[in-house]
Amino acid sequence: MAVSTNDRWLVPARDTRMLLVKWVLALLVPLLVFNFAWQGDALINNVILGINNPAAANTTLDQLIEAAVFVVVFYVVILILAGYLVASDSGRRGMVEVWADVLVFLVVPILLINATANLILGVAVSAIVWGIYFLLRKRIPAFTRLQPQSLLDNLQVISQEQRAAIMNRARAGGFWLGASLALVWIIFDILFYVSGQLDTELLIFGVVRTIILPIAGFLLGTLGGRVALRHVLNANGESENGSRQKRERLQATSRVREEAADVVPNDLPLRSKGARNFYLLLVIVFVLFYPAIDPFLFGYGTNGRLAGYGDAGFYVILALGLNIVVGFAGLLDLGYVAFFAIGSYAWGMIGSTQLTNVLNLPPINPQVLSVLFWPMLLIGALIAAFWGVLLGAPTLRLRGDYLAIVTLGFGEIVPVFFLNLDQYTNGTNGIVGVHSPAFFGIDWSTITPVPYYYLILALIALTIFANIRLRDSRLGRAWIAIREDEIAAASSGVNLVRTKLFAFGAGAFFSGIAGVYHSAKLGQVSPDNFSFGDSVIYLAMVVIGGLGSIPGVIVGALAVYSINLFILAQLDSMATDPTNFMYGVSHFITQYIPGFTFGNIRNLVFGVILIVIMIFRPEGLIPSARRRRELHHEVNEGPEEGALDVIPTAPGFETEVHVE
Amino acid sequence: MGIDRTTVHEGQPLLDLRNVTKHFGGLAAVQDVNLQIWPGEIISIIGPNGAGKTTVFNLITGIYRVSTGDILLEGKTIVGLSPDRIVRRGITRTFQNIRLFNNMTVLENVLVGQHTQLKSSVFGALFRPPHTVHEEEEARKHAIELLEFFGPELVERQEEYVINLSYAQKRRVEIARALAAKPKLLLLDEPTAGMNEAETLEAVKYVRRLRDELGLTILLIEHKLAVTMGISDRIAVLDYGRKIAEGLPEEVRRDERVIAAYLGKPTTSERETEQQAAE
Repeated sequence: MAVSTNDRWLVPARDTRMLLVKWVLALLVPLLVFNFAWQGDALINNVILGINNPAAANTTLDQLIEAAVFVVVFYVVILILAGYLVASDSGRRGMVEVWADVLVFLVVPILLINATANLILGVAVSAIVWGIYFLLRKRIPAFTRLQPQSLLDNLQVISQEQRAAIMNRARAGGFWLGASLALVWIIFDILFYVSGQLDTELLIFGVVRTIILPIAGFLLGTLGGRVALRHVLNANGESENGSRQKRERLQATSRVREEAADVVPNDLPLRSKGARNFYLLLVIVFVLFYPAIDPFLFGYGTNGRLAGYGDAGFYVILALGLNIVVGFAGLLDLGYVAFFAIGSYAWGMIGSTQLTNVLNLPPINPQVLSVLFWPMLLIGALIAAFWGVLLGAPTLRLRGDYLAIVTLGFGEIVPVFFLNLDQYTNGTNGIVGVHSPAFFGIDWSTITPVPYYYLILALIALTIFANIRLRDSRLGRAWIAIREDEIAAASSGVNLVRTKLFAFGAGAFFSGIAGVYHSAKLGQVSPDNFSFGDSVIYLAMVVIGGLGSIPGVIVGALAVYSINLFILAQLDSMATDPTNFMYGVSHFITQYIPGFTFGNIRNLVFGVILIVIMIFRPEGLIPSARRRRELHHEVNEGPEEGALDVIPTAPGFETEVHVE
Repeated sequence: MGIDRTTVHEGQPLLDLRNVTKHFGGLAAVQDVNLQIWPGEIISIIGPNGAGKTTVFNLITGIYRVSTGDILLEGKTIVGLSPDRIVRRGITRTFQNIRLFNNMTVLENVLVGQHTQLKSSVFGALFRPPHTVHEEEEARKHAIELLEFFGPELVERQEEYVINLSYAQKRRVEIARALAAKPKLLLLDEPTAGMNEAETLEAVKYVRRLRDELGLTILLIEHKLAVTMGISDRIAVLDYGRKIAEGLPEEVRRDERVIAAYLGKPTTSERETEQQAAE
């Protein structure tokens, strides 16, 4: 580890210099690519110009302010991150590895999103590049060169002087990133100004920025250093050190590896826990302010894109709900779409004139009806949960494959039930004229999808919150225990019936929420939205994302949605556009296969993608720690480093317990 | 506990098996077994492989349902109760082939064992009111206390996933999980199976401590005769699902039917005898 006790913070000591170069370049390059290859600086420039002269801007002042807030938060987080990364790096991994990682994981997506002018498409194509990179990286010896000498080396205790040195490095990191960014930026600005492409007011801003950035970098880098210090092992006297070392020696290798991944100093600071919090912050800020910055980044068509993301959102809720049933409790549910249908019809019936017509009641005032959406969000979810419990009850005696078959049946019965109940549900015609929600002061019925965007964000946030709380509770432990071993769970006092019913109910609750939202947003309920294929798609989202892993399931839902319902569905329309790349591909294929359309092979391509993902990443995109352990069990076999006791061979160790 | 092991017991037995029979199809796995277990006893069930020992455990813990007969805990029947209800009544167990939640940590395993002791439900999970937070903290503290019973090693490895533990440690965690439900009667199914001599000695020690320090009543199945003879207050012998003998270790050792059914000639090894018995 490169630790210097040098007190000069701006002119770094020799061993810190390499670290600074490594990380400043690693962060500077993506920022510059974002700013100059894409419209990153246009975002800032337009905000400044717009605020300066609101009449000329084609966006509202609100949007400009939101975008400005985003830009400020974005750069603040990046500067703190710079401080953190420089401070927490153990310096044992070379520059090239870090730069290659940054190039592939940051620069490539930025360029691809810019090239395709489409967030989802860009990320999807990047994902292919990432997959290839993963495979290649394992085969290139340069990347596997570094093996930590001992895992315990990573878990060293940091003394007071070393803490001061870490702080200094953090400050230097923030400062130098701020300074170099400011410098490169102002040079470009002057060049543009001289060539007459830049307004004077922007140049003035540029000068101000050049002064502010290094100072902000210095201060924010300090903050990053503080964050890094929170992850170090403190030296509270020699005894603490000793007991820690002893404890680590007792732990199994895999456990030590997990701990070492989060402790500062770190071989892979980009993947450490501290850095992950910054990424999370960046993602949250991006998602929150997205409606404001979208027009600056992608130009016209914001409403269409936002509507698409709103759709992706309810798949996230569905997948998170199904994750409770399948991921936590381990009950394979192939009929999950049934509860989505129940939620959809719940609001479809109440939120339109359907119910009052059928019951020959006077119609409810539309304004009142729209407000009813909010209580119905809860009631619809509760109705779905009720049916979840009711349908779950007969399946309780079943396990595994048998359970799946029965849930499959329910998934078929419920939509058919709604279809044939045509005097109430309009049968195949579905219900039209479903009201959108109303919120005091905001009119949701206009074409802007922004309120829906924020509604689905709020619902997703609630769902994630509930998922995390449930997982970490007594109930969540019982679910996982059931998934692991039913007999042992029952013998530990877990009531199998209640616990499983809770899982079915909780899962159905969230799909009810998604259903109510879906019917309100679509303005109609159509019975062909609830087929077996949909249940399978939800299950694919959960499995591909990573069973039981909340971030994994979110990513899985977004990935499957964008692959299946976004990209593959749009291939044909892309192929009709002569300027598009797919036009050429389509033209080429039709030469050999007349009458070819992408629509014909859509499911085939989707299936192949699923198979490829499952072959190369059976534990899912972002697996939970438990799941990863389960699928990489062979790593743990054999004598463990740190296991004190011998593992004896057990004679006469046959199973005697057979379950009735 | 100060129980005189030779006198006739007063009051009611903790567990009372009355003519317990279990049929699997035409096969009677357990037939007319009568057994009284008194508070504070360590009592062993021995017998050749397939004699129905584990079946008796599964009947007591509600995994199987008794065909005929009755099982009383403190005078009340527990027949027909689900396994978790029986845990609530005060009987917990371990398994012959350790059944831990492998992908949960040591601490989490013990916390699952405390399931019946905790009250929080969905509301508590979602909103975490102060009493739920307090309950969780207490549960964690209690779990660590239970691990401490088996020495400092498990406490230090509390965040370890169980799958990484050694065999003997897994056994200890399983017992800690069973203790977490605050049982009156603890059923141990071959607690020393697959252990080397040092580990077996250690296991015998803590089984005694469970009785002496925690005041538990213990029913155990054991294959190692040296262990059984040394540890038990009384021994019941099963053969072909029937109880063929019951008494003090010395009595059982001398019982002719036991010798015929189980111990065999001193020259034949235990394994061969079992095979003969199975035939």
